[in-house]
Amino acid sequence: MATIDYTIPGEHDLETLDIHVNVGPQHPATHGVFRMVLTVDGEVVTDVDPIIGYMHRGNEKLPENCDFRQAIGFHDRTDYLAQFNTEHCYVQAVEKLTGITPTERSEYIRVILAELNRITSHQMFVGAFSTDVGIFGTAFMYAFRDRELIQDFFEEITGERMMYNYFRPGGVAWDVPDNFRERCRQVIGQIKKGISDLEGLIVNNEVVLARCCGLSRMSTADAINWGVSGPLLRATGLEYDLRKAEPYSIYDRFEFDIPTGKDGDIYDRVIVRIEEMKQSVRIVEQALLRMPDGPIMAEGLKRVLRAPEGEVYMRVEGPRGEYGVYLVATGADKPYRHRVRAASFCNLSALRAMSVGNYVSDVVIILGSIDIVLGEVDR
Amino acid sequence: MTQETVQEAAPPPEPGPLARLLQELLPGVGFAITVTLLDETVTIGRDDFTRVMETLKGHERLRFDYLRCLSGADYLTELETVYHFYSFEHGHKLAVKVRCPYDDPHVPTVSHLWAAANWHERETHEMYGIVFDGHPDLRPLLTEEGLGYFPLRKSHPLADIEEWQEGYLSAIDEAKRQAASAGGEAAPPMSKVEIAQAKAKLMKEARDKARAEGLSPEDEKAAVRAAIDKFQEDLESGAVGGAAAPAPMSKVELAQAKAKVITKARSEARGQGMTTEDEKAFVAEAIKKFSEEQAGGGAPAAAAPKKEMSKIELAQAKAKVITKARNEARAKGMSTEDEKKFVAEALKNFSAEQDA
Repeated sequence: MATIDYTIPGEHDLETLDIHVNVGPQHPATHGVFRMVLTVDGEVVTDVDPIIGYMHRGNEKLPENCDFRQAIGFHDRTDYLAQFNTEHCYVQAVEKLTGITPTERSEYIRVILAELNRITSHQMFVGAFSTDVGIFGTAFMYAFRDRELIQDFFEEITGERMMYNYFRPGGVAWDVPDNFRERCRQVIGQIKKGISDLEGLIVNNEVVLARCCGLSRMSTADAINWGVSGPLLRATGLEYDLRKAEPYSIYDRFEFDIPTGKDGDIYDRVIVRIEEMKQSVRIVEQALLRMPDGPIMAEGLKRVLRAPEGEVYMRVEGPRGEYGVYLVATGADKPYRHRVRAASFCNLSALRAMSVGNYVSDVVIILGSIDIVLGEVDR
Repeated sequence: MTQETVQEAAPPPEPGPLARLLQELLPGVGFAITVTLLDETVTIGRDDFTRVMETLKGHERLRFDYLRCLSGADYLTELETVYHFYSFEHGHKLAVKVRCPYDDPHVPTVSHLWAAANWHERETHEMYGIVFDGHPDLRPLLTEEGLGYFPLRKSHPLADIEEWQEGYLSAIDEAKRQAASAGGEAAPPMSKVEIAQAKAKLMKEARDKARAEGLSPEDEKAAVRAAIDKFQEDLESGAVGGAAAPAPMSKVELAQAKAKVITKARSEARGQGMTTEDEKAFVAEAIKKFSEEQAGGGAPAAAAPKKEMSKIELAQAKAKVITKARNEARAKGMSTEDEKKFVAEALKNFSAEQDA
């Protein structure tokens, strides 16, 4: 009986073709209107060309034609999942330029809201990311259940669910309701439970472990070189948080830790975010205890704010990383130059470096782990 | 390639520790120091740029490894690029500025030193037209390719929407009416609403005129009455409602024909394997030819509206002039009064041009 030769003749001479795969812009895995063209060799991605700009609305140009206070609303619309954090950055930039000192009470209100906003943003991330990974529904629903609590709370304060437009140079637009403390404690209590629920669903989840551990490792040096910031940078093991590195507002008064990862892989990025939620809860609890009574707006402000000649690059630690506003003032009532340094814009620029060499199906997770907000990327 | 920016800042403020360190490490480089609020800022000349940047990244006492932000800015005569740096090793931060003239907007790239600069430079390139020499891939990032203008430059103003729309909408109405009247006998007569509107307008005009002349109330009434009577007469005789005129190609048809020409020219150009530049030129040529045909003997019907600027175009052009003048005035920091005067001046010039 003759033996069968199973080897394919000339197997190593087979010529393969690179194929381009278009993903998006209308695709649930791209988290908005984002498109990328993958070049694949079999299942392996050999090149990624991210194409952005589908939501470009001129968010840098428009405020240059607006009064300093009118421009606040545009910052809600850049990072529309961390509106208080972005507003916080902008109003501080204006305060630095004009020399206004915000009142004590408003500082506390701002920090509390910004930290709660960080929690909602990370909840959104965990929810959306879990569907990217393939654990459909459950974690997403848990995350949104809790996010809704905070959103309701924000609505009670600002009257808005998304575009709050609440911070002002010198303070906040109006005082918080009388039951602010009790309501906030109540929300925080439920959130804490929600965070441990999420942790239980994600941290030891077999799917998450199998798909995320060791995927898309990034070294600290690479991350720094690509301008990556926020949880992605901390996941590489670098303990860098603007709230500690360059304390702004009143962050130097609170005790909190900077969670870091070890490997810079996707799993670390998720864990860092979950830990960050707990730290934000800590900050809010401390702030609630110390929040003083008093005025919510600095005194003696003119109806029209004019900033003397000068410039400032103000940056804060947003949920996605460093959110910066570069303002140039020329003595007029508008900024002459208004630049937004968006965290996910810089993080997204490293997508190619993170994805090349991985499988097509993993690119979706890698993109999800960056946690992009297209409003901020495209501005 | 002079260092005018460096010499310009004559009375420099006290240099900070970083600026002093830079002066020590890079003798012979002019550092202009400006007052800033959070970061120390130095302005350097373009000639020293590459040397300074390499030192910033590489020198062990500086070691700026993190490019946190790169922005462009338009200062009307010059374009500026601002780099914000942070050093994780030393914890210090610095802003570096470099300027380039409008007619030679070139700055060397830093994307080989900091990968983060890659997208920032692409964005600054498309928004300000600054060319970063040596950048691996300067395609537009947020806007489409071949935009033809730089949106964030001050010379590209935002239109004042209400004002622009008002002129635009009334011009459209006017054009519609013209088209309707040009349609000859088949054109539908003025609707009742339109008649009423026209009448109201007429009455108001007559009244205003009478008041401006200082007529007594009785005379005023009589004047308005006379105007209305005249209007009615005109309406009945057909002078207002629908006078016949040769039918021009409608705007839509014209646009469709034009689009066809463009598509044809483009596919032809692509078929010949032209470069993007050549393709553009080719298409432009085709459009020009088409317009000439329209204006000339090709379609005599369309000749009349082509001769002069149409009302819509006129209104648009006017709105543009206003916006431009206003923005210029604001950029110069004029007072409201001066601004108004400036805009009025610009409008006057525009009308004079039109008349001529």
